[in-house]
Amino acid sequence: MLGLGIESTAHTFSCAILEKKGKKGKILSDIRKIYRPPDGEGIHPREASRHHAENSPEVLSECLKKAGVKMTDLDIISYAAGPGLGPCLRIGAVVARSLASYYKIPIYPVNHALGHIELGKMLTGAKDPLVLLVSGGHTMILAFLSKKWRVFGETLDITLGQLLDQIGRSAGFASPCGTKIEELASKSTNYVNLPYVVKGNDVSFSGLLSATKQIIPKGLEDACFSLQETAFAMIGEATERALSFTGKKELLIVGGVAANKRLSEILQSVCKRHNCKFFVSPREYAGDCGSQISWTGLLESSTKQGVPIEETFVRQSWRLDTVEVMY
Amino acid sequence: MSFKLRFKLVYKLLKLLKKGAEADIYLTLWDGKKAILKIRQKKDYRNEILDKRIRMQRTVRESEIISDIKSFGVRSPLVYFVDPKKCEIYIQYVDGTSVKDLSNPKIIKTCEEIGKIVGLLHKNGIMHGDLTTSNFIVQKGKVFVIDFGLAQRTDKTEDHAIDLRLFKEILNSAHAHIMEKAWISFLKGYKKIVGISRHNRVLIQVSVIESRGRYANVV
Repeated sequence: MLGLGIESTAHTFSCAILEKKGKKGKILSDIRKIYRPPDGEGIHPREASRHHAENSPEVLSECLKKAGVKMTDLDIISYAAGPGLGPCLRIGAVVARSLASYYKIPIYPVNHALGHIELGKMLTGAKDPLVLLVSGGHTMILAFLSKKWRVFGETLDITLGQLLDQIGRSAGFASPCGTKIEELASKSTNYVNLPYVVKGNDVSFSGLLSATKQIIPKGLEDACFSLQETAFAMIGEATERALSFTGKKELLIVGGVAANKRLSEILQSVCKRHNCKFFVSPREYAGDCGSQISWTGLLESSTKQGVPIEETFVRQSWRLDTVEVMY
Repeated sequence: MSFKLRFKLVYKLLKLLKKGAEADIYLTLWDGKKAILKIRQKKDYRNEILDKRIRMQRTVRESEIISDIKSFGVRSPLVYFVDPKKCEIYIQYVDGTSVKDLSNPKIIKTCEEIGKIVGLLHKNGIMHGDLTTSNFIVQKGKVFVIDFGLAQRTDKTEDHAIDLRLFKEILNSAHAHIMEKAWISFLKGYKKIVGISRHNRVLIQVSVIESRGRYANVV
């Protein structure tokens, strides 16, 4: 079975074609174009959607070409219906709808966060993991229980990705800033005290954001180091709490921030303490990509019919824990 | 018995009960009685300065609050001995069942009692900070509350609402099948203690916090 997936929730416009045989998936192609805002600025939804619209034909045709697949070969089309930025989501949805109605291919709206998890599971082979989803849009600890992904802990305000991006931007970097912060942090070992806020299984980063901004003038590298140490230790503790409460024996990290080495290191150490297997999405597929959408659509198609075109909405704030998983 | 000798005896009888999230829980003896030794081990993934700050602060705060709350009638283990430098606490062993492991109807029923306990804590300016069903133990029909590592002295509605929200989140995730009933039962107990006006105030704040969450309330 062949599926096209279209991702356009935020910075990234991506198309991917995956093949599903039984329970196994294979990525035939995954093409991306990423919108880059000017240094020191964040994503502008209108500009990002313009970028997506302009690049969509090229990304799509390149994706088909690389996979060696014709439009008429496709069994289903899936698109990221949320959560994300409205203008950006609409571009992906428009492309998906046009293709689906012109070629009469079943269409599936997919939850972007669910996509991260399903692709992570497919690529790493994790069976029943506790999932840590860390990206620009999410910071959540999840476990699957009777048809839904249940939230065991999450951020009470901004996400880990936003925290890193906002610090990076205030220092004048181009976002996403995670890599730059990681690089600067590795040059320091001088820890400056910063607020550490864990509330049960939840974390809160807003105070840490303000406090880190204040120490930047005293030394950017120290600030980046202390920021990472504090924020990641908070995530580490919240994850440990969820692991010990749920008794899960696998931990899977997915999402853009999963690419950070220091975070991986901390979570690996957490797993060691709890005798639990550690899985992390491969760097290339940790961030937003069409594959996550295509794969989830393929999974859904095993139990569900496609959605009628008039019901192919986008939902900017479609929470993962409201999605019923039937497959 | 001298302190040193007593310590030797105690260490001999250590048995690891649970590797918790932030501390290791051992079963041991104190003065011939079964006791719990809670050690906040150094975490090598955490920066050393940060790690020490967190462990010491929590050890001291936990032992203070766990004793204080007895004065207004909340059942909690007795504290036998505290070593802030080693981040160790010796507390009474409560032989019972964690609420998390009870049958569903019993969890629903016990939630009213939990609501009362949380009400008492809040009324006396204490936030528990880690309200999960595994932190309440039922012993012969009496409910004990444990684990005050994240507790704080606070009268802020916001902080009390955070307690409630966490408990709701746990019901939602770990006890999804009985969430509605358990939550209603919890609120019933909570209201009995704090009164209707405070109960409403905190609940409104809970929805404010929820609406702050990611993708909670926009369009």
